[in-house]
Amino acid sequence: MIKARPSPLLALSTAALSLPVFSASQPAEIELSIKTSVYKEGDIPAHLFLSGSNERYDIDIHQFYLLGPIARNWSLALSGSREIMSGASPWGTVRGIDGKPALIMSGATIRESRTEVSIGVNRYTNHASFGLAITRSTENDYEAHAIVLSGEWDFNNKLSTLTLGLSYSSDDIEPVDAALFGRVQKENKHSRSFSIGWTQVLNKTSLLQSGVSVTKHDGYLTDPYKLRDSRPDERLEWALSLRYRKFFENRNGALHLDCRYYQDDFGIQSYTLQTAWYQNLSEGIQLVPSLRYYSQREADFYLSVDDFSLPLSVNQSSDYRLSTYGAYTFGLKGIVSHNNWSVSISIDRYISSDRYALADANFKHPALLDFSLASLGFDIRF
Amino acid sequence: MIKQRLCALVFVCLFGLGSCQSVQPWQRGTLAKPEMRLEVDKLGSQLYSQVYFSKEASSGGIEVAGAGCGCN
Repeated sequence: MIKARPSPLLALSTAALSLPVFSASQPAEIELSIKTSVYKEGDIPAHLFLSGSNERYDIDIHQFYLLGPIARNWSLALSGSREIMSGASPWGTVRGIDGKPALIMSGATIRESRTEVSIGVNRYTNHASFGLAITRSTENDYEAHAIVLSGEWDFNNKLSTLTLGLSYSSDDIEPVDAALFGRVQKENKHSRSFSIGWTQVLNKTSLLQSGVSVTKHDGYLTDPYKLRDSRPDERLEWALSLRYRKFFENRNGALHLDCRYYQDDFGIQSYTLQTAWYQNLSEGIQLVPSLRYYSQREADFYLSVDDFSLPLSVNQSSDYRLSTYGAYTFGLKGIVSHNNWSVSISIDRYISSDRYALADANFKHPALLDFSLASLGFDIRF
Repeated sequence: MIKQRLCALVFVCLFGLGSCQSVQPWQRGTLAKPEMRLEVDKLGSQLYSQVYFSKEASSGGIEVAGAGCGCN
């Protein structure tokens, strides 16, 4: 069977459509996306905490994203998010009567919000694009400002793309009830980040992106809300990532495979493997099951139980996020598209345990978390 | 150990590049499908990044860090 070669006009149209997928091209239309999500953490079992509330965070999240051409070879992007959260958080751990760590939770339910706004511009040339974006994030006790510079260069007839990124962030924290609980009054930290990535079209149905990012934090990196928490005032992080996309014509679906190796000088190492399958069902309907696995090794100064006998100058933290554990996320998403708009609905379930970790953990941290995340999104192009 | 992992990553990248084929513009229709994008859902990616950044110790990868938050 001889396949007909596409007409030159169709070929050009297809080529034009293909460019924004992974290379530096100006958007031809305005894109507007909105999404609303509900995030809910599982409560702490009664036998694992000694005091405070066992009701953990519930968060309502509202987001928008707007992208469009503003002049010849320029585009503007605006995005924002608003999070409204309530719930209790872990303050620390003590040794329980069974010898295992037991939690001290914050007593009253915390109610707070976070607002993030970002604006960015991009300039496009024949084989490159350059971007500048600034972001502001505010909470009642935290304010962060960031600036991001980025660049993309196409090579090899737009089959290869080099991506570079630089960012700087300045964060200020003013803990609430500082005098009442003896917390720091006001502190700050600075973060600098660099990334480099290479995207390569492998053949007509697959592409691969590899990248490295390095981030340096310095300043106040301790959690001021813990009863006893003292961390180094510098942190150097680096991560290696691979993202692979492959379309299977016979299945009419696309495979996404992402992996990341992370390491920092806190002593934390982690592995992340994420996969999703985009199955096209009938015209305009997609079903996307996904699975993510994550495993991390604890920080050098992590203690399963707070040690109040140590001087404050000695680093220690019982934060569950610095412990050894592993986690799975199971997701399912449905997308309905018609002409220039689409609606998506998704649900994700995250479960974590010391038993899922690649490394051995001495104790299961009682604050290891499970959560559910449900989202409803709407996208339109015009 | 780190060198071994780095070598493994470089090997995978070189293997990927080594298996590249020349793809003409009129052959890129499949690559142009929305589900073949590296980032299919911009807001979804931001949401997951924020959740995992605030609940796990790791972050980073392809992109640089953005503004921080009091969640971590």
